[in-house]
Amino acid sequence: MKAKDLMVPIQDYLKPEATLREAVNLLRVARKGKERQGVKGLPVLDRDGKVVGMLAMRDILKAVYPSYMSMMHLGDFAWDGMVESLAKQVGNDRVEAHMSRDVVTVRQDKPLMECVDHIVTHNVARLVVLDKTDKVVGMLYERDLFFSIVKAMLDENNRGGK
Amino acid sequence: MTPEAAAASNQVVMGASFWIATALFLLAYGLIVSEKIHKTIVAIFGAALMIVLGIVTQEDAFHSIDLGVDWNVIFLLVSMMIIINIMKPTGVFEYIAIKSAKAAKGKPFMIMVIFSVVTAVLSAFLDNVTTVLLIAPVTLLICQALELDVVPFLITEALASNIGGTATLIGDPPNIMIASRAHLDFMAFIYNLSPVIVVALIAYVITLKFIFGRRLTVKDELRQRVMAMDEREAIKDPRLLKKSLVVLAITITGFVLHGMLHLEPATIALFGAGLLLLVSGNKEPHRILAEAEWATLFFFVGLFIIIGGVVKVGLIRWMSVEVLKITQGNLLGTSMIVMWFSAFASAFIDNIPYVATMNPLIIDMAKQLWPNLSGLQLLHHPDLMPVWWSLALGACLGGNGTAIGASANVIIVGMAEKMGKPISFKKFMLYGMPLMIESVLICTVYVWLRYYVLKI
Repeated sequence: MKAKDLMVPIQDYLKPEATLREAVNLLRVARKGKERQGVKGLPVLDRDGKVVGMLAMRDILKAVYPSYMSMMHLGDFAWDGMVESLAKQVGNDRVEAHMSRDVVTVRQDKPLMECVDHIVTHNVARLVVLDKTDKVVGMLYERDLFFSIVKAMLDENNRGGK
Repeated sequence: MTPEAAAASNQVVMGASFWIATALFLLAYGLIVSEKIHKTIVAIFGAALMIVLGIVTQEDAFHSIDLGVDWNVIFLLVSMMIIINIMKPTGVFEYIAIKSAKAAKGKPFMIMVIFSVVTAVLSAFLDNVTTVLLIAPVTLLICQALELDVVPFLITEALASNIGGTATLIGDPPNIMIASRAHLDFMAFIYNLSPVIVVALIAYVITLKFIFGRRLTVKDELRQRVMAMDEREAIKDPRLLKKSLVVLAITITGFVLHGMLHLEPATIALFGAGLLLLVSGNKEPHRILAEAEWATLFFFVGLFIIIGGVVKVGLIRWMSVEVLKITQGNLLGTSMIVMWFSAFASAFIDNIPYVATMNPLIIDMAKQLWPNLSGLQLLHHPDLMPVWWSLALGACLGGNGTAIGASANVIIVGMAEKMGKPISFKKFMLYGMPLMIESVLICTVYVWLRYYVLKI
């Protein structure tokens, strides 16, 4: 199996100049497969369809998390309502200000082990799948890799490989 | 020795090595000012070139205090960094800052004053960058809680850290460098600089009252957010904290007594760092050591060697001859020129390379004024002492003039930018320059009155 056999073809993506408010709205209703049930992360594509970033749940958490809190141990001194008021403030920020710029990508014709390698070494939950011209063609999820491993493990005819 | 003979012995030979070293020195300083290449890389490579081109030998660079690295400065800095890095995770600094905000009852101007004073006092014993890195994050939190603009708070803390750092030998790198080359002890700084810094700090707080006193108000319900914070929750490791405080007390006592004990400040600091590493039961010292600011330390190392080069070829001596021509040997005039020139120079360039250059220049100047003296008789000549103090006051306080004048300012501006509240060069200068001039004026009156009128 190759990356393209396991990936979900690209349907929804974000633009760098969109606001976080627009972005989280899309995250909430984006298609996963056929259903609009929301996703936990979307790629950010520029006008040419090149991937420039990734916006995932953790990036939204980091968007409301002030940088000074990570400089010292200040978590004990937060107050009720702090997250909510900061969420309102960052709603108008642009996606490019908060997206992760280190996007982990894989070519669509690569074997699954390379996908496992990327997910384990970069500690991410999803990969952006590219074609030969660096155009984004799909997303490959950790969960789908897990299911394909489960299938291989449980498949009686497939013990130890062919 | 007649003045003519003295002048003849001071004749500088401007040969090939003189021009190579001078060019290297100017190029390195130009690159450091331009910030095109990281200053530490410039310093390391410049130093290596000074040795490769044969201006100084490796023996000079590594083992001569006049022509190479002043290890007293390096070991004092690295030891203090180790002590702070061990103390930091105990939560003591968060504790102090939260306690201060609560002591101010959450009132914004009182918070500004107390944070400024706490920053100044901490800066007198820790380096300024460390202090603002410890105070600024809590300031950002408190201002967020009170829904206040954080910029005035950050600027006033940066300025306060530079004022407080001037007060002691260990407060600011220029003082560490001056103390080492001029063989001045910790108590000499306390006697000569601390009194005027206390006055300057009081004047600073009064000035803040005029600038911000009426402008800062906050709703009562927001103050409750600050009053509800429990500073005791900050303490993460009470056992390590107790040990750290004991070691810190021993170290500061050591600084106070180092003149009497005939131990260099670096020895005291190294003892403190070693003792704290030992009693903290740290199993992984490499982590603590890795957190030391190696870029800063190597900046010093490289700079000392570059300066050593221009000292060896006589550039510094030539400069000191020229300075003496201007001042005509008038030492009150020299003190005043040194203080104000240092202040404005430090406002625009890093005061570390500036003081590294001025130290040998002042020593050379003294050699020409009193050619028959040497050693401590020369360095501690009663007429020279006010010049050292003027250099320290000017170089440290001058850092307040602009956003790039001191490392603490650069850190603060960087943090504000990260928070989406950029502080422009102009905005910083609007506060910094008048407050710098105020404090240097106070020091001018002090130096004139104490050393030239009252002569005490």
